[in-house]
Amino acid sequence: MSRLYDTVEPAVIDEEMLKKAVEEQGPKEEAGKIAKQEGIDFGDVLSLRLDFLNILKIDNLWEFTKLTKLQLDNNIIEKIEGLESLVNLVWLDLSFNNIEVIDNLDSLTKLEDLTLYSNRISTIENMDSLLNLHVLSLGRNQLTDLENLRYLRRFKNLKTLNLSDNPFCKQDEYKQYVIAFLSNLEFLDYRLVDQQSRDAAIEKYQVSRDEMLHNEKQAEIKKEDETKRQQELEKHKNAYVELMNGPDLFEQMYAEDKEGQKLNEMPEKFMQICTQIFDFGIAEHEKREEEVKSFWECVEEAKQDNKRLGMVHIDEFTETKKRMLLEMSQMSDHKMVEQYARDYNDKIQVLWDKLMGLELQLVDQLEEVIKEFERNMQDMVGTFVENVQALLSQCRDLENNHHEKMMEIAIVTLEKVIKNELDDEISDDLKMLLVDKDTIINAVSSSHDVHLLKIDNKEDDIVTRINQSLKNLIEQIHQDEEITRNRMRVSEINNLIDHLREEMDNLEVMQN
Amino acid sequence: MDSSEMNEGEIHQIDSDDVIKEEDETENEEGEDLTEDAEALKAELAKIVVHPPSYEQSLMEEFDQAEFSPSYKDNLPKENLVLQYAENFRRQMVQLYRDRKPLFLNPVNECGVEKFVCTTIRPTLLEFKELYNWDGAAEFVADYLNIEPLKPEYELPKRLISPSTVLKRQKGNCFEYSTLLCSLLIGAGYDAYVISGYATKETCLADESRDICPLLKKKEEVQEEARKKEMKKYNVKPPRDLRSKFELKQESKKEAEKQAEKEKQRKEEEERIAELEKPPPDPYFGLRIHAWVLVLSGKREVPENFFIEPFTGLSHPMDSSNYLGIESVWNNVNYWVNMQDCSEGVKGLSFDLGDSTVWEFMFPNNDKPLLKIPDAEDDLNDMDDDERKYTSSSISTDDEEHEVEKYLDMPPSWVDALKLSHRDFQMRCPHGKKTKVYKRAKLEKFAHYLMKDGLISRLSVYEDRELTDLMKVHEYYAHRSDKLTQKLTNHRTGQVCENFDPGRPRCLKEHQFKSSTPGPENERVMIFYHEARVDGLVKREETQTEMTEEYSNRDDFLFYKYVEFGKRAKKFGPQETSSANKGRPINKMIQKFHRNRNKPANEDIAEIIFHVAEDKIHISYHTEDVRIAASTREFLKPPNWDEKGAVLTFNPEMHQTFQVDPMLPMNKQVELYEMLMELLKAEEKCRNEVRDSQNEVRNILDDRTKEEAASELDISVYDTERNEKAKKHRRELERQQLEEKMRKQEMDIDYLAPFLAKIGNPEKLSKQQAFSLKEECLADLKQRLIDKANLIQARFEKESQELEKKQAWYQQNQVSMGKEDEEEYLTYCKEAIFRIHILDLRLTRHKEQAPHKYMQLEQKLRNDERLSEFF
Repeated sequence: MSRLYDTVEPAVIDEEMLKKAVEEQGPKEEAGKIAKQEGIDFGDVLSLRLDFLNILKIDNLWEFTKLTKLQLDNNIIEKIEGLESLVNLVWLDLSFNNIEVIDNLDSLTKLEDLTLYSNRISTIENMDSLLNLHVLSLGRNQLTDLENLRYLRRFKNLKTLNLSDNPFCKQDEYKQYVIAFLSNLEFLDYRLVDQQSRDAAIEKYQVSRDEMLHNEKQAEIKKEDETKRQQELEKHKNAYVELMNGPDLFEQMYAEDKEGQKLNEMPEKFMQICTQIFDFGIAEHEKREEEVKSFWECVEEAKQDNKRLGMVHIDEFTETKKRMLLEMSQMSDHKMVEQYARDYNDKIQVLWDKLMGLELQLVDQLEEVIKEFERNMQDMVGTFVENVQALLSQCRDLENNHHEKMMEIAIVTLEKVIKNELDDEISDDLKMLLVDKDTIINAVSSSHDVHLLKIDNKEDDIVTRINQSLKNLIEQIHQDEEITRNRMRVSEINNLIDHLREEMDNLEVMQN
Repeated sequence: MDSSEMNEGEIHQIDSDDVIKEEDETENEEGEDLTEDAEALKAELAKIVVHPPSYEQSLMEEFDQAEFSPSYKDNLPKENLVLQYAENFRRQMVQLYRDRKPLFLNPVNECGVEKFVCTTIRPTLLEFKELYNWDGAAEFVADYLNIEPLKPEYELPKRLISPSTVLKRQKGNCFEYSTLLCSLLIGAGYDAYVISGYATKETCLADESRDICPLLKKKEEVQEEARKKEMKKYNVKPPRDLRSKFELKQESKKEAEKQAEKEKQRKEEEERIAELEKPPPDPYFGLRIHAWVLVLSGKREVPENFFIEPFTGLSHPMDSSNYLGIESVWNNVNYWVNMQDCSEGVKGLSFDLGDSTVWEFMFPNNDKPLLKIPDAEDDLNDMDDDERKYTSSSISTDDEEHEVEKYLDMPPSWVDALKLSHRDFQMRCPHGKKTKVYKRAKLEKFAHYLMKDGLISRLSVYEDRELTDLMKVHEYYAHRSDKLTQKLTNHRTGQVCENFDPGRPRCLKEHQFKSSTPGPENERVMIFYHEARVDGLVKREETQTEMTEEYSNRDDFLFYKYVEFGKRAKKFGPQETSSANKGRPINKMIQKFHRNRNKPANEDIAEIIFHVAEDKIHISYHTEDVRIAASTREFLKPPNWDEKGAVLTFNPEMHQTFQVDPMLPMNKQVELYEMLMELLKAEEKCRNEVRDSQNEVRNILDDRTKEEAASELDISVYDTERNEKAKKHRRELERQQLEEKMRKQEMDIDYLAPFLAKIGNPEKLSKQQAFSLKEECLADLKQRLIDKANLIQARFEKESQELEKKQAWYQQNQVSMGKEDEEEYLTYCKEAIFRIHILDLRLTRHKEQAPHKYMQLEQKLRNDERLSEFF
């Protein structure tokens, strides 16, 4: 920038400036007049131009939440900032400024057109969230590294790119490099990229390009796998039996039991029961989902039916209203008009009765259904909990058995050790335990306690979680379906009736 | 045939017939091994000719014998054998069942030669794909031939004309119809048979005036069962019904009674009508002879046996009441006689032709599977001895078995191959026209391209049976360039409904209007092919003051438009010529839109009503999913809205609204103002569209009138016969080909000719001559090649000399030369150099090619047949 900004006083974005800009750029002519009278909310402005104003710092734009187009070109801005709240921005022009780093654009996910022409940017970065980018202008900047352009590959929609007048443009391979690695581009530096040059470029960089594509693909597959795994786990969590399809519980049992680990023995049976719990949990979960789904379907259906009936009543009423108003407007007899007005009011009353009746009926119906649903869900959760508990108590039995055996073996081994009859090599850790009877018994039983505790914890965890979520669900249903919905409908009906009455009153006033 | 149905006279007739035939037979049998004397006797006897006074003879059409092939005029020995065999069979039948009516076995053909009926069937598959299926073939036979009723109707015809001749003369009796149809069906792979039997008068005379026209039969409406609502676990209980159950019961009872009453009345009425319409009793009931076709299941995926009535081409079920009895059945391999009782009509007859208890077959090579174990043999073995000697070649006696073997196969058909030209096939009916009379309806059929306006059939429906009171006319067209396919004129209401194929310029599909008021701005309905239209218009309905349009699949979600017109303001003063085109003033316009899910319901317009006359615009929005009421808005238009360029003012009184959600913030005045501007634009647009619609209607009507006047027919490019252009093109191509051939012939100039001429064109060349000829020929070519090279060289030299001259001249005069001269010189130089270069190139090429040419000629001479013997 060869501007003499030292000599000019930098301006600050203040209310006055914004107001002026908004009014200048707002509606014209008659609409403008009306708008001026009324005042314009910054929140309603869709596009704003603040160019040639010597602005140094972007600030005070947080009110413009609906803004889709913002022009801040030809200022002396040095840093991108203060744009976080403009989430609806589609077009952003920051050309002819003194920006050095691309930054603070993460919240502008809807951005499609970004112009940073003629700035002092040296690396392309910090634009990961701008996935909708169509047009990007980075011409006349300080970009030197061609490799850096690979960053732009993440923008699948990027069709138009301007990189002219950057240092790297002097390199011979610049153009072909860009075309080869950004093969979605349609326009580069004001020119259409034709198929011929694209083919040539791709051919030139075949090897490195293939490698890059391969890597990208690998990464994508990996990501997909990861998300899939996450989803699976999420699903199991919803069924409250996560990690039960493997030896996880068992491993956990030994995780905090260093001594037990030494006495470890992998029990197949334990695994089996865990898997059983897992399968059961998944099946039960599916059942519950089904139940919930059918409940919602029925509720929706009931609501739709009710709505239809209500709309029919309203439509009928509108028809009569039209007819009556027409007749009234043709009447001259005052008394007759009054008679009609009374009739009309009666009709409104009838409509109110009907609509309210329908609403009450719906409330009754829903209440009943919700109650039934609640009962069923509770039953299902109860069975689930019972079964899980039964299965876990089997685990506990196994653990007890295991404990007894362990105890036996420990004592026998101890005796052997004492008699020095033990042939097998045993680890030093184990030797430490096998000093006297108390030590070994303590070790074995503390290990047993830890195991039991783990199983208990798991049980508690499952039971509390499922009960909690059920409670939440039921509460939510009560809140949404019974209370909120009812309030809303009633207020709507009353609003409508009030409006109809008012209309009539207005009419009478006018006639009088 | 049940004996009870025969009367005395007929029995007598049959008997006498038999006697004569028997006598004939004996004579024939003796004739097998005649001695010379006998031959002489026969010749003597042949002189004695008795002319029976036959009235039929005169009735029979005479055929030109010359046009038939010998197989028509004579019998092969095998055919004679079969005829004898048949005669034997007939006699046996007569012996065994004296009261049976005669069988239809060996009528004479068009040349007066006796032919066995089975050999008259000539299985043929014609090249028209319509004839591949039974319905198409039956329809074709019914259309193509004219009916000749049997005379008298209770006697078998004496003559059976071959199907090939029948095709030529396009008429025939029921036997000829059936034989032709059977030939086609067997050719197409069906298991088809000709049936000889008895039918009702209507069937025999193809009188369909008691039947409802098949085109008019209503398709049975498939009543879609209302999908039962699935009962789900959590379905809400319906609100309690508070009506009295007793009253409801009473009401439904009353309703049921009323229904029953109505039903009863309707039935009575129907019965009455049926009684009235019953045909008068037929004195020959049960005696009228008829022939029709039987198709058995099995082949060609026919699931069930059925009859085909050849006169109408329609199928009849096996228990059809039209047919009263079956005498015999045959196809091209065998002949079966029905042994079942037909007093109940054809109902319940078994068509298991392999079962010899119910079907007596004539040839033992019965290819029909036997479903039952036949016990017919026992019956036949019970025959009296004298009968046995009579029936020397009885079918199933053991000692005749080997003789039977000899007769196993049927001789090939004596009929020439059936031929049908494409033109005749397309003409279908004799002279391309046919009229059929149905109950209260008349159907006229025309061949394609026969009628100038493309009419192919016309169905007129009448109120009464006498066909005097016309109700409606249904006309079908084909190949019309205006794509008109159907036209239904209702003469009662004056309604006309025209149907079109896709492909018209304005995508019109259906057009209904009153014939009395065909002009624009009248009652009409137009249905369009909306997929093809840019505006997605489905239907436009008009009355004199209204117009309704329905759309589908539009991007702006518009689906309905309604316009109400006012009366044209009468203008005083000078008449404007354009006033008629100006259109009527619009009073009201309504547009309705589908829900656009991308917009919130509260801002998505469901309906706009432009009260043009009151300067008001009323908007209703869509209803939100959770609500039951919809927001509305009403604008008063600014007073100066139709002034051009005027500044439109706005004040809050011009707008009224009802918002369903009272919590929503009020719209700003600017927004309202802009909304109003939009609406004014929308109104203008809507108005223009209405005018466009009106113009379109006018244009369509104009087009229709023009098309009706012209009524051009389209001719397919593949139709080589009719398509003049294609024909011309083809002829042109042929001509070109011919010319090309001629030219080629000219090209093939004999290179030896001049040299041969030199030695006087001898018939045969001597060796020496041949050698010298070759030498001469080659030398000549050599000389010519050298000459050519010399010529090129000479030209080359000339050019270069000239160029040199010019250059010298230029050198001399360069100083005094003007610019133009210099340029001229330069261009000359360029050209000259170019010419020289070309000459140079030609020379080199000539040099290269000359030896090859020489070699070629030498090779050719070597291979020349005139010289080849020497080399």
